[in-house]
Amino acid sequence: MKKKKKLQDPLKVLGRARGYSRKELIQNLPRHKNFTPDLIDKLKKLPEVVLRNSGTPLAKKLIKMMKELNTEAYRAKQFTRTELNDRGVLYGIVLLKHKVMDIVLNYFHMRWPQCLICLYNEDTHKTSVMNEKGVIWESELAFREVIKKISKKRKIMPYFKEIQFSGDKIFETLYKSQYIEERDNPNFFEQMIPKHCYKLPGMRDGVEKRFNYQIKKLDDF
Amino acid sequence: MPSTLEKIKILGTNSKYDICASTASSRTRKYPKLFRNSKDWIGATETAGICHSYTPDGRCMSLFKTLYTNKCIYDCKYCFSNNCKRRVSFTPEEYARTIMKLYSMNVVEGIFISSGVCGSADATTEEMLEAVKLLRFKYHFQGYIHFKCLPGVSQYLIKEAIPLSDRISINSEASTKDYLSEIAEQKDFKNDIETRQRWIKKLRIRHNEEALEELKDLKADKDIELQKKMINGRREDGYKKYRWDGAPILNGGQTTQFVVGAAENETDLDLLKRIDWQYRNLDLRRAYFSSFIPIKGTPFANKKRAPLEREHQLYQSDWLLRIYQYKLEDLKEIINGNGNLPKGDPKVHFARHYFKDHNLIDPNEAPYKELLRVPGIGPISAKRIINLRTKKFKFKCREDLKAVGVVLKRADPFLSINGQNQATITSFV
Repeated sequence: MKKKKKLQDPLKVLGRARGYSRKELIQNLPRHKNFTPDLIDKLKKLPEVVLRNSGTPLAKKLIKMMKELNTEAYRAKQFTRTELNDRGVLYGIVLLKHKVMDIVLNYFHMRWPQCLICLYNEDTHKTSVMNEKGVIWESELAFREVIKKISKKRKIMPYFKEIQFSGDKIFETLYKSQYIEERDNPNFFEQMIPKHCYKLPGMRDGVEKRFNYQIKKLDDF
Repeated sequence: MPSTLEKIKILGTNSKYDICASTASSRTRKYPKLFRNSKDWIGATETAGICHSYTPDGRCMSLFKTLYTNKCIYDCKYCFSNNCKRRVSFTPEEYARTIMKLYSMNVVEGIFISSGVCGSADATTEEMLEAVKLLRFKYHFQGYIHFKCLPGVSQYLIKEAIPLSDRISINSEASTKDYLSEIAEQKDFKNDIETRQRWIKKLRIRHNEEALEELKDLKADKDIELQKKMINGRREDGYKKYRWDGAPILNGGQTTQFVVGAAENETDLDLLKRIDWQYRNLDLRRAYFSSFIPIKGTPFANKKRAPLEREHQLYQSDWLLRIYQYKLEDLKEIINGNGNLPKGDPKVHFARHYFKDHNLIDPNEAPYKELLRVPGIGPISAKRIINLRTKKFKFKCREDLKAVGVVLKRADPFLSINGQNQATITSFV
């Protein structure tokens, strides 16, 4: 008997094709704050080609939702400012509206594998902690209390103790030293750090905002 | 004694014209003996490099980019250090601690370590290496390190720097010996720069071959033969080596930097010829261009500033050479009588020139190389088109091309789909 050739989706072979695969969407869409279970049923009915190329309004909506998730996680990786105490607890504040905390925690865990990562989400008012083994748990206690509590049980790490000084001034000095007046390009700058990013906890009082005098609110005039 | 803050202010300002765009390195941790593979390592290199901040000119600022010292025996006429009255240096411990602090704050991805030549190139490099070793072995830092080789440094020090760095570079500054002597009299183009670039190439290849041999004994890795081939191999076309060439160490390869417009008569063609040669012979990963800006107090203070547009066009041409598989001869065709590139996108200029004599391109038939000559079609969309064709997919209309990522407004004038093409005004006359 002749084997029937499977009809392959022509866009499936592309590797880095636009959009996301069905599998990716099913896995990640539940992270979105506006996710409803019926979306998955609708998604299953759509052919992969349509999904990958925003072929219908629904596909477009789903891809937009995925992009929002990825952007939020990426911005958190970029602009979350953290502190490290001498007992190896790395902590910071994030503002995550979608359920991407695990992605952000994992990013810091990859960098500081022997530290406890402790991030407070301003949106849910909860603190998420990831330990050295990559296990995540949440706490509703006050952020500072959580840090105190988990730090107590840990030993002082000698080379973390050496870097217990304020780095804000150092970063500000470094940032200002890199500025080349002749190359000033506010439009490009705004493209790189859109205004809404200044609402993120790490950027609220960021040196970028203080240094870039061109960004003004209506009240400033 | 200046404080750390003062040092950062002075040395950061001195290095602000140095260029280092990338913070990504595809180095992985699976390799044995990589920074002695301590269990307590810190830091990671991301394949997609994350930028934690941007300067007001839009440049990504993700590396701790300062000089190690601004004391320098050279008096390059364009250099910022010429103007600086205060001479300061970091100490290795101070340097390493500052970076670790900034890394813990999530404001930098790694370091770009460069320096003036204080006393001798070897003495300064030894100090720089001491700082890097502190980072790698005391703080177990596995983040990104871009190490700048100083002109005239000894081979044994380069050999030490290679296994510690993700990327190594040496500034060419100018395209030829004559142009270099015009802007930096004391530097010897052949000996101080080119010879060092050759050493880096040789040492890197040797080091990676040895590392792979070690890997072979320790771990059965199926890809090892392939990786070995990739260390020395090249693609059939184009200059760019495989993006990840199997190198466990110095994954970012070697790069170089040119000061554009500092030497009086240096043309774009001179620069393109030079990078073309370096890609072929020195395994250069990429070239950076920094347009000349006159600095008060330097011998070139009254010189005319080089337009930023020129720098941009050189980058575009470099991209065409490296990634779009163009040849230098192709670019020579669009270069004007002065030896410079015409204003605007070099790819569009070339397409206008090329399609005068050639038929418009049919995406259902054109080979990969031809597709890349069309503005609006890049390597990714060209690959998608080829892949779809192998699955017997026919492009019937413009929308099919749009779906695979072709920028139609740029590509339309050069495309013919099933015999149909965009009409020109002249066809109505």
